[in-house]
Amino acid sequence: MVIADKKEYELRAHLLRRAGFGSTKKELEQYLRNSYEDTVEYLLNPNFDDWMGDHLVRRFDGEASGMINAPGASRNWLYRMISTTNPLTEKIPLLWHSIFATGVPKVINGRVLFDQINMLRKYGTGRLDNLLLQLSRDPAMIVWLDNQENHKDAINENWGRELLELFSMGVGNYTEEDVKECARAFTGWSIGNTEYMMVRAKRDSDWPYGRIAYHFEYLEDDHDSEQRTFLGQTGNFNGEDIIRIICEQESTARFISRHLYHFFVADEAPVPSWGTIAPRDPEAIDQLVASYFDSNHNITEMLRVLFNSDFFKSKDVRYQKVKGPAEFAASVLRLSGQFEIPHREMIPKYRQIVWMGQELSNPSSVEGWHEGKEWVDTGTLIERINFASEQLGNYENPGIKAIVNTFMAENAKFLSGEELVEKSLEQLGYQEVSDKTRAILVEYSEEIDDIVSKITGIIRLITTSKEFQLA
Amino acid sequence: MIEYMLTLGIVAMEGRGFEYPTDSVTAPNGRLYVPNKSRDFGERGVRLTVLDIESEFYGTFGTYGESKGQLQSPSAVESTKDGRILVCDDYTHTVNLFDLDGVFLDRWGMHGEGLKELNGPSGVAVDSNNNVYISDTRNHRIQKFSIDGVHLGSFGERGMRKGQFELPWGISFTPRNTLCVADWGNSRVQELTLDGEVSSVIDNFSNSDYELKYPSSAVIDNNGTTYIADWGNERIKVIDAGGAMVQNLRGEATISKWASEFLSSNAEENNARLASNLEVDLDFLEDHDPHSESAHIEKYFWSPVSVKLDHLDRVYVTETNRHRIQVYQQT
Repeated sequence: MVIADKKEYELRAHLLRRAGFGSTKKELEQYLRNSYEDTVEYLLNPNFDDWMGDHLVRRFDGEASGMINAPGASRNWLYRMISTTNPLTEKIPLLWHSIFATGVPKVINGRVLFDQINMLRKYGTGRLDNLLLQLSRDPAMIVWLDNQENHKDAINENWGRELLELFSMGVGNYTEEDVKECARAFTGWSIGNTEYMMVRAKRDSDWPYGRIAYHFEYLEDDHDSEQRTFLGQTGNFNGEDIIRIICEQESTARFISRHLYHFFVADEAPVPSWGTIAPRDPEAIDQLVASYFDSNHNITEMLRVLFNSDFFKSKDVRYQKVKGPAEFAASVLRLSGQFEIPHREMIPKYRQIVWMGQELSNPSSVEGWHEGKEWVDTGTLIERINFASEQLGNYENPGIKAIVNTFMAENAKFLSGEELVEKSLEQLGYQEVSDKTRAILVEYSEEIDDIVSKITGIIRLITTSKEFQLA
Repeated sequence: MIEYMLTLGIVAMEGRGFEYPTDSVTAPNGRLYVPNKSRDFGERGVRLTVLDIESEFYGTFGTYGESKGQLQSPSAVESTKDGRILVCDDYTHTVNLFDLDGVFLDRWGMHGEGLKELNGPSGVAVDSNNNVYISDTRNHRIQKFSIDGVHLGSFGERGMRKGQFELPWGISFTPRNTLCVADWGNSRVQELTLDGEVSSVIDNFSNSDYELKYPSSAVIDNNGTTYIADWGNERIKVIDAGGAMVQNLRGEATISKWASEFLSSNAEENNARLASNLEVDLDFLEDHDPHSESAHIEKYFWSPVSVKLDHLDRVYVTETNRHRIQVYQQT
């Protein structure tokens, strides 16, 4: 039995919504056996040991293993989101995927996109320098931004420009000459068997035996090794040097800090306007910037500061983020418990996420998705509500059956409407709602006689609330 | 000992070829019957492909649908000596019978957890009396039926002890009148009498050389040699009658006849392929995960889901993710 007051539950639930995909009451009770700080440490120190989940996915969803196309790769990731015991492990690639957005229109090969997500998971909590280095060598990114066509005698600036503009420093912190020199430094950073892989990609060919994964290849003969000046420093810089210099810049620290705040704390203005619109909480950004330099650019250290900060724990930032579609769906499916063993019903579930406005590994542009309130319009909101109410209002789903059984064990039929609503909110991870929403839920509960219908009906109604759309 | 002989197949959503094949069987007519699940359990791709070892193509049957004679997720195949083809469907939880020409004969099986009921059947074997043994996967047991679907018994339950199972997969009837079950979730192979008594266990405790990881299928030949599809390690392991592991195969696929025909008619792709190095050094894969290795090296086994023998004890390895079959012959 865990003794904790409601505020502790709500704070821990806030952490699990932001660092994960929400939680059940039962999961919260487990986390509350340890301190808040210990929970943060648990989340920051994932265990990468082999787990059966991967093998279950490979066995029961062939395309999520062979990955001819991107949706198979994305389903594989979605299974991870809904089954992992350390949800930050999957939130991290979601964070970086939203910044380093890479997609199927040019990459085609699902396995290559999957490998990029694995890379983001593996390196996404280490030093930013190393993450950007891995990103520079990532075959999906190379193809996405055409760096296989960046030659010493004919540069292609796509990767060099986006590395500076979208992935590290932000507009206004470098010159056009820096872009060119950055591109020159990455000449020769290509993929192996370029011609064959590009012919196959152009023809969308999976013949004769399915997709072949790509690998990075450095072509020294195609690298421009001339001396260059980049961001005020001069030398025979290769790509590694460029990344080192980028990561030394305060603008990089501020750009990454603001992204972390935007993803984990509260919705910010759209990224393209960051050059003109000040951060929502400049002091929080300053703290994260200080952490960035104090830790030698370590993302885990920045997240440790972030999750333990007063600005993160503040009630002012709770429910101030619109859940992204993948995050929203994963939180629903974790509660519904439908996929203990993977099965084909994940295909329509995944399609519904696309209809909500987010197709993983297929961002709307190289800038990724416009997040926050832009996730929601009249069409996508209906999709979200229908999705959640369909899964969580269904007694046959194991997670919902377990919640109902918990109620029944506590003689739910003798509880008042207020008590039933309160306990339902607790079961959904101490979901907070406005007084107006609560009153509607209580009114509803008093209209239904059958106790199972009443409980599932209350849960279904909660999922249609405004608050349930927010993290 | 076995040696590589040839590769069969090519990926294809329809007609000649395979798409996510799950098993194979050589029937008394010498033809090979290969069930395909397709990439998204969809309307295109689901079928049985019929061919022979010379890559002669004889057509398909059992395409996607709910009607009798149609399939939705064909997961395993077996043939009887009198020429019937049995196909498990792990979505409809049924066993479907066809003749050698693909003409529908019968369908039985019902979803559930009770006796007689099936939940995701993914392996099928037939003994010399035409009794049918089903790997009742999600019920973690083996069920025995007559060829007409009359329930004759059941053995096993979920667990790790001898005679228990965790998501059992491939099942085969052996020359010594026993059953060989790939006990997938327990990373072992159990040999059972036809009454369900465990006669032997091949696992990592009995011999640490095996290093089995989620095996999907196992067969025993007339010499007592066991061939295991070590699915989690992307390998085929050969264990002699004395229990020694004598081969640990990684796969050496070459261009099949069907693949060759495709490449010869697509010159741009073929020329680029010929100029490529398809056996790259994999040092960049820091964890040396065999699944990732197989994604990079085309000739390696990738999801070797089934290992079967023909009358010459040739070994057929069906690879789901590479949409082909590698055939090995006795040396």
